Amino acid sequence: MISMKGVSKVYVPDKPAALCDVDCEIAQGEFVFIVGHSGSGKSTFIRLLLRELVPTSGTIIVAGQDIIAMKNRRIPYLRRNIGCVFQDFKLLPNKTSYENVAYALEVIGKSRHVIATQVPEVLRLVGLEEKTDSYPDELSGGEQQRVSIARAFVNRPPLLLADEPTGNLDPATSLGIMSLLNRINKTGTTVLVATHDREMVDSMRKRVIALENGKIIRDQSRGVYGYGD
Amino acid sequence: MCTAMATSPSYFISETWSSFRRNWVMSLVAVSIIYISLLLVGAFFLMSSVVNEMASSFESKVSVQVFLKDDAVPADVQALQASIRKMPNVKSISYVTKEQALAIFKERTKNTPQLVEQLRNNPLPASIEVALVSPREVQGVVNLIVKDPLTAKVVKTPANLGTAKDTDIKYGQNVVEALFAATGVVRVLAAGFLGLLLIVSLVLIGNTIRLAIYSRRREIGIMRLVGASNWFIRTPFLLEGVLQALIGSILAILTLVAAQAVIVPWLQGNLKFLPVNIGGVTVAQLAALLVVAGVGIGLIGSGSAVRRYLKV
Repeated sequence: MISMKGVSKVYVPDKPAALCDVDCEIAQGEFVFIVGHSGSGKSTFIRLLLRELVPTSGTIIVAGQDIIAMKNRRIPYLRRNIGCVFQDFKLLPNKTSYENVAYALEVIGKSRHVIATQVPEVLRLVGLEEKTDSYPDELSGGEQQRVSIARAFVNRPPLLLADEPTGNLDPATSLGIMSLLNRINKTGTTVLVATHDREMVDSMRKRVIALENGKIIRDQSRGVYGYGD
Repeated sequence: MCTAMATSPSYFISETWSSFRRNWVMSLVAVSIIYISLLLVGAFFLMSSVVNEMASSFESKVSVQVFLKDDAVPADVQALQASIRKMPNVKSISYVTKEQALAIFKERTKNTPQLVEQLRNNPLPASIEVALVSPREVQGVVNLIVKDPLTAKVVKTPANLGTAKDTDIKYGQNVVEALFAATGVVRVLAAGFLGLLLIVSLVLIGNTIRLAIYSRRREIGIMRLVGASNWFIRTPFLLEGVLQALIGSILAILTLVAAQAVIVPWLQGNLKFLPVNIGGVTVAQLAALLVVAGVGIGLIGSGSAVRRYLKV
């Protein structure tokens, strides 16, 4: 699903790299945590996969496509195969929950009929069937994040990226979000979560890739957040 | 790939309308700015066309008069008329008899009738009046008339023809140049101001639309991250810009037409000595100018503004 080889990203020349010579393979259907302190390169890792950033060197293959060599106008098609969830939700403020989720389908040209059946279904999956006509500022943080997960998942992408999805949420809400992501993973979607939520990582026992100063310092299946650090 | 085809125009229309409605504060600001700018441009356009009309009507009063001696042979006079009629730049000619000249004089001096009463006989000469196609080139016509051998036969003092002492041919020698200099300056000023105003309002409108889109740059970034292609994001923004411009310009046109219907008759009533006129063509031109300028700037403004934020 994801293959990174020798990937480095330098934002400012002559400053330490955000990511330094990272190699990593993630198979289809995996659930992977990327952990590390702020500034360790987690977000850079995610943004590179979305082609929001281009690495300074190295190659990245996502779903069989070399996304470095990819032409700019192909980027939207890459992103339609990647659902993404962010710490700040990134919902369109002038659209209701329903419309935010529907937007991801409108973008790929789905008919109104398909939208009308799939959107309520996925909103039910995330437990928001009561809030379809609410605007983002009328929803709690946890609800907004569930809308954003619904949007990321509605077109059944093979890969779902989440950058600190529980960063702004309380522990109980976080648990709900994580179990939602876990359920999505069970449908066959590869899920990649960047987080520094220790409890969550330790309780879920998934593959953990730990980053520090832009380097992978640990990669273990069924891992925990870290050894007392 | 061909997903683009699946998106119907109705999607973009409803998307445009709902975004126009939900961002109503920004829409209102944009529409008002467009309205006010185009109103100013339009008002100035109308004023300058009134000024232009005035200048033209003053200019069209420039004509050539050839005064005839009382004992001129009628055949010669008719031959000269035929000859003048064939000259280039001559629009029309008319023959004013001695009696008509006196009648015109009486009409002009009706406040002081004693002037006419004192006259024992009619001292006014008959004349040929020559109206011109292009008043600016009056001198050319005068030269041709002076050179015509028939002219010398019918005027009182042929020796003076074409000299500074000439009293037989009149065309406002001293006034003409000053008049054309003045109307020229007025025209250039009006066109200059109109141009400036147009540029200023285009910049203002463009900036307003950019600002409205700037306030939504985050949305554009989100749309990109969800996988929307550039044209999919751009189209509703472009349509929204056009919609705002259309509303603004139509409001401006309606206001101008209404104001004109009130103000022009009032001016005509109060400034009888000035020829106040706006042709129907001018109003149509104005409407076209405002709509085209408005929609053009709406498209360009929103297009260039969206472009900046599409680079995610």
